[in-house]
Amino acid sequence: MKRALYILLTNPLSIIGFLLVGTVFFCAAFADFVAPHPEHAGAVINFAFANKPPSSEYLLGTDVVGRDILSRIIYAYRIALGMGLVVLLIAPPIGVAIGLIAGYIGGRTDFILMRLTDIFLSIPPLVLALAIMGVLEPTLLNAMFAVTAMWWPWYARLVYNITRGEKVEGYVLAAEVIGASKKHIMFREILPNCIPAIVTKMTLDFGFVILIASSLSFLGLGVQAPTPDLGSMVSEGTRYLPDSWWMTVFPGLAIVVAVFGFNLIGDALRDVLEPD
Amino acid sequence: MSAPLTLEIQDLRLSFKSWSGTTEVLHGIDLSVASGERVALVGESGSGKSVTSRIVLGTMQDVRSARVSGRINFDGRDLSSMTVAERRALRGRDISMIFQDPTSALNPVFRIGALFHEVLQRRDRRITKAEARRRAVKLLQEVSIEDADRVLDSYSFQLSGGMNQRVMIAMALINEPRLLLADEPGTALDVTVQAQSLELMRNMVDRLGTSVLFISHNLGVVREFADRIYVIYRGNIVERGPTASIFDSPKHPYTKALLSAIPRLTGGGVPEIEEHSPAFSDPLVTHNMTHDNMTHGSGR
Amino acid sequence: MTIFRRLLLRLGTSLIVLIGVSMLIFSIARVIPGDPARIALGPRATIEQVEQMREALHLNEPLVVQYGLFMRDLAKGDLGISLYSKRPVMTDLAEYLPATLELVLLAGLMMVVFGLPLGALSARYRGRWPDHLIRVFSLLTVSAPAFVWAVALVLVFAYFLPLFPITGRIADTLDIPRLTGFMLIDTLAAGRLDGFVSALHHLILPAFALALSGIGQASRLTRGNMIVTYEQPSIEMAQAYGFSEARIARRYAFKPSLIPSLTIIGLDFAALLGNAFLVEIIFAWPGLSRYGVGVILQKDLNAIVGTVLIISATFLIANIIVDFLVSVINPRIRLSEGGK
Repeated sequence: MKRALYILLTNPLSIIGFLLVGTVFFCAAFADFVAPHPEHAGAVINFAFANKPPSSEYLLGTDVVGRDILSRIIYAYRIALGMGLVVLLIAPPIGVAIGLIAGYIGGRTDFILMRLTDIFLSIPPLVLALAIMGVLEPTLLNAMFAVTAMWWPWYARLVYNITRGEKVEGYVLAAEVIGASKKHIMFREILPNCIPAIVTKMTLDFGFVILIASSLSFLGLGVQAPTPDLGSMVSEGTRYLPDSWWMTVFPGLAIVVAVFGFNLIGDALRDVLEPD
Repeated sequence: MSAPLTLEIQDLRLSFKSWSGTTEVLHGIDLSVASGERVALVGESGSGKSVTSRIVLGTMQDVRSARVSGRINFDGRDLSSMTVAERRALRGRDISMIFQDPTSALNPVFRIGALFHEVLQRRDRRITKAEARRRAVKLLQEVSIEDADRVLDSYSFQLSGGMNQRVMIAMALINEPRLLLADEPGTALDVTVQAQSLELMRNMVDRLGTSVLFISHNLGVVREFADRIYVIYRGNIVERGPTASIFDSPKHPYTKALLSAIPRLTGGGVPEIEEHSPAFSDPLVTHNMTHDNMTHGSGR
Repeated sequence: MTIFRRLLLRLGTSLIVLIGVSMLIFSIARVIPGDPARIALGPRATIEQVEQMREALHLNEPLVVQYGLFMRDLAKGDLGISLYSKRPVMTDLAEYLPATLELVLLAGLMMVVFGLPLGALSARYRGRWPDHLIRVFSLLTVSAPAFVWAVALVLVFAYFLPLFPITGRIADTLDIPRLTGFMLIDTLAAGRLDGFVSALHHLILPAFALALSGIGQASRLTRGNMIVTYEQPSIEMAQAYGFSEARIARRYAFKPSLIPSLTIIGLDFAALLGNAFLVEIIFAWPGLSRYGVGVILQKDLNAIVGTVLIISATFLIANIIVDFLVSVINPRIRLSEGGK
């Protein structure tokens, strides 16, 4: 553990990752104080300052109705991080439970649960989320639901594979011999061995959830105006390319900064927690 | 002095640098192999015997965390003063190696014939496929492989472990190297298959006059094979001498422990030895050359 | 024999999975809150009109019966009428799928052609600067959604440096008769080399935007697999024979790790198919996405089900093809027919 921390804190890449993610979290948490124009997060119209390139007053320029892009990005981080937190609080436990049960119990349970997982996995993730959004109203809550629905099977697959391997290990057999309950073996004996892989995946996934969520709203199927969202900001901005480039470039860059930060940490974490 | 030395190691030290500091693995080893001599280096896992062979091979020097010091002379040339490229030029031509698990050591995506061709190219860059095949067949027959053509057309995973072991012996000797390093050869195989392949290897090196450094954890395995034995314990040589002399009158407490742990002549299992005993750290014991059958011993 | 049995087995399981997909997507489409017929027809439709549509869509039957009827029609190649385009869904899909496939296939090719060598280079120079450079690049490419890459590439290579066209599949001045829907094939079939060049010119930027994340993913994967292979005894044996580092990398590390890498890259095809939606929007590419997003916004149930099914089927077929290719490369599978 000490060694893991040592490696994480001396690796320049993971330090950059921590800095990026830290900044994003800070901005999201204290948006009201950090954002230069907090009121621009809403449906403000400010035509006098519309369509302005980056300046000292509006560091990243303004959009077509004159709102400060920097302020909107900072508030959009709130939505993005909230999305990541909610999806990763719900999807992994579902997937882990299914993977553990299918992997440990085996037999018909295994067959049914894993075929169900396969079905979910054979629809390209974004397409599944799109289809679910297709029948639901495009709101933040529904977007969270859609992304969660496409996310759990990956955890089921991951935990299933580990469980199948651990099931035949000596410590599991020993627990069976002394008559431990199935529940105890699954959650107390096997689950701890899946934790490193799950934690690594969750860190990497935080970035990818932000990515998928922004893709949904880019297609107009996520958060609706006037709530600021990185994907819809890019989508709106593309209409004014190339002259008003700042409207697309900065929100796009904001996505990269956040996702890249999580990926840097996740990558370093994988090197530490899962050597090979 | 006696016969010329193929390999001479003096005060060999190896340490690894890591985040928690430096760990010394070899604490100054002296070892020599005379021309045509078969020498065994015996010790338990972690004693430093395998890294010694990697240093002679010259690959350990390329590991960035490794610090190697001491003199290593191969055929009168100083390995430590050579460049990486010069050391590599020796490998596959003048120094060759046999590995523990033949099946996983042979590249699984090429046929045995292609691997032979590749190895022969180390000697003669422009050797034709046909010529390479002719020579491979000849050598495979020497290790008692009757259907050499079928073997050459196979992948390693299609052959048995014993067959792969013979293939590896033939491959290691096809360029007639001066020195053969054998790292636990055949330990992954059945005891009888292992004994068989060691017999074949012995005949081959006899005919070619190859010097051999045989690395093993099992004194029983080297008894038939080696002229001389070095016993290594925790990075130090603790006893050395002619094979018969070591077996007849072991002096060092650790050697005695090793010997008492041999269940059968060619027993396969790892000997059960006490984890550590203060006596194991006793100073080096050297047997003098009293046995007249030891023709090439250096006997310092 | 074995390869064909394997192929058959894969086809069989894929078919079962595809039926599962149809059930899943069908039930998603029917649990829609509110009346699908009412949503499709809009608030101004009369109750009779809505009832008529409910009949036509079999919405008054139990869900199981609805599904049975749907499968019966599907077996006849009928996915129903799109409420969005008022045409058979099959006709719509046949029109838009080739453009998307052309884009995705070229992107897949780029992913393999650039991703594998990058990963191999990275593993070969592990811990040294080419490795660091490639790792950061790969991580960066997977850290941005495809639409951000599309915007970035358009800005740089179409607006600031006008090297590539911004939208469309071929120059407006060219009129190529539609044969397969694949522009590269149709132009060649029409004997129009200028058309082929123009189509390729239009295809490169969107395909690259789509491929970028995949290139990074493939590079990361190949690096990982090769590093595992580098631990194998066969590498040590190659070193013991004094083969050059380049030779070891190519023949002893890269080739054996190609098999697991390609298998997983087949799975990444899913991401390409999904991301094609995003890239097509930026480049106004007349593929499935415009149709797909349109039908989703219109709550056009038949079309949604059809689109998802066709994309999943494409994905499964792509994986069967990859699996087939891998078993041809892999001597272990290829040779497992006769003897031992």
